[in-house]
Amino acid sequence: MSDKKKYIITSITLGAIAASSGLLIGVTNLVTKDQIAKNEENKINNGIKEIFDQNTVKVEGFDLSEAGITGDYKYVEYLYEVKDENDNELGCAFVTSGSNNYGKISLIIGFDAAEKAFLNLSVVVNEQTYATTLVDNYINPLNNGKRDVDDVKCGATYGAKLVRDMIDEAEAAVEEFYK
Amino acid sequence: MSREKGQTKANFLKGIFLENPLFVSILGTCPALATTKSLEAAIGMGLLFTIVLICSNVLVSALRKLIPEEIRTPAYIVIIATFVTMVKMFTNAFLPELYSTLGVFISLIVVNCIVLGRAEAYASKNTVFDSFIDGVGMGVGYTLALMLMALFREVIGSGMITVGNIFTFIPKSSLPILKCVSAEGDVIYDYSISLFQTPAGAFIVFGLILATIAFIQNRKKELASYRDRQEKIRKAQEAKEAALKAAQTNNVEGGNK
Repeated sequence: MSDKKKYIITSITLGAIAASSGLLIGVTNLVTKDQIAKNEENKINNGIKEIFDQNTVKVEGFDLSEAGITGDYKYVEYLYEVKDENDNELGCAFVTSGSNNYGKISLIIGFDAAEKAFLNLSVVVNEQTYATTLVDNYINPLNNGKRDVDDVKCGATYGAKLVRDMIDEAEAAVEEFYK
Repeated sequence: MSREKGQTKANFLKGIFLENPLFVSILGTCPALATTKSLEAAIGMGLLFTIVLICSNVLVSALRKLIPEEIRTPAYIVIIATFVTMVKMFTNAFLPELYSTLGVFISLIVVNCIVLGRAEAYASKNTVFDSFIDGVGMGVGYTLALMLMALFREVIGSGMITVGNIFTFIPKSSLPILKCVSAEGDVIYDYSISLFQTPAGAFIVFGLILATIAFIQNRKKELASYRDRQEKIRKAQEAKEAALKAAQTNNVEGGNK
């Protein structure tokens, strides 16, 4: 077989395999995307319920610009205004995402409406290498009031620093939101 | 027909015992150390791994005559990566707890030596059916190995076996073994050793299991060689006795003459 023919056959085979792979992944994406979006929505809703310690909440989502938050934020992405079932304002929750050398993390950080103070946080995505250590040694104690936000030495210190920075940024955003 | 059936059975069983990917070939150790903290996670990892292995084995085998020699490895990697991406998407959609528990280790199946190894060493040279059976056997073998490690680590590390955390369609329940907690949350007794829940504990369990397997295999070899020696001695003795008998008979015959 001539070299030219060989190259053509090789290219066609690889191209066909790549095209079939793309097609399969595309079809899988079509089948699963709605369910994945629904799961993420549920995760956010459950996270907000956990943060505000409520069985049912009413949430309304806003882009930062829609909410009048114009500052330059690195981690804060989205805002939810949270009300209880009787339409009493409970507070707000920010969806934040960030990453470092150890992977990505996405959180919902909740703030109380009356005191405009940090309440709790819920983990949406945790792809940090020391994911469990971060949750067990920093995030859970933080939510239980057993650890200070700035006390980041926990066995997953870089992850904890990232979470602390996200909380600090969300605090700045909440000040701007309630201004 | 029965020979074929026997071969199929041997092909399936080799992945579980004789060529177990984790305990005999020592392949796929990274996820084995990272995802065996709980029995449920280990089952989940094993299941996803088995699906990817079966699908890639079958497709590689089906395309083995079409893929040119020069591009075999890149083609196999594209095939495996496709199945891993599909499995990842399906897990994210339908088993989100498993997806968040296994995290990056689902994507890392792409670079798992067992999957590429079986594609290269077996599926590219055998029929679709044989490759399917090989994939099932290797997958089941790997899953059982992960489950064994997870069983030790969960029981010793957390003191109890918990189900329903990852497979949420199962009602959540715990079986207390070394640790018992009352309904109010008070610890009644706790003999668990949390070290076994850490990566160091995974290495210890893995090492102990490998040592046990090596002990059993060496013992078998020693027993076989002992039996072999005994047999040789017995045969030598029999030959000696026969020679003595023959010599005695010759002597008697010589005397008579």
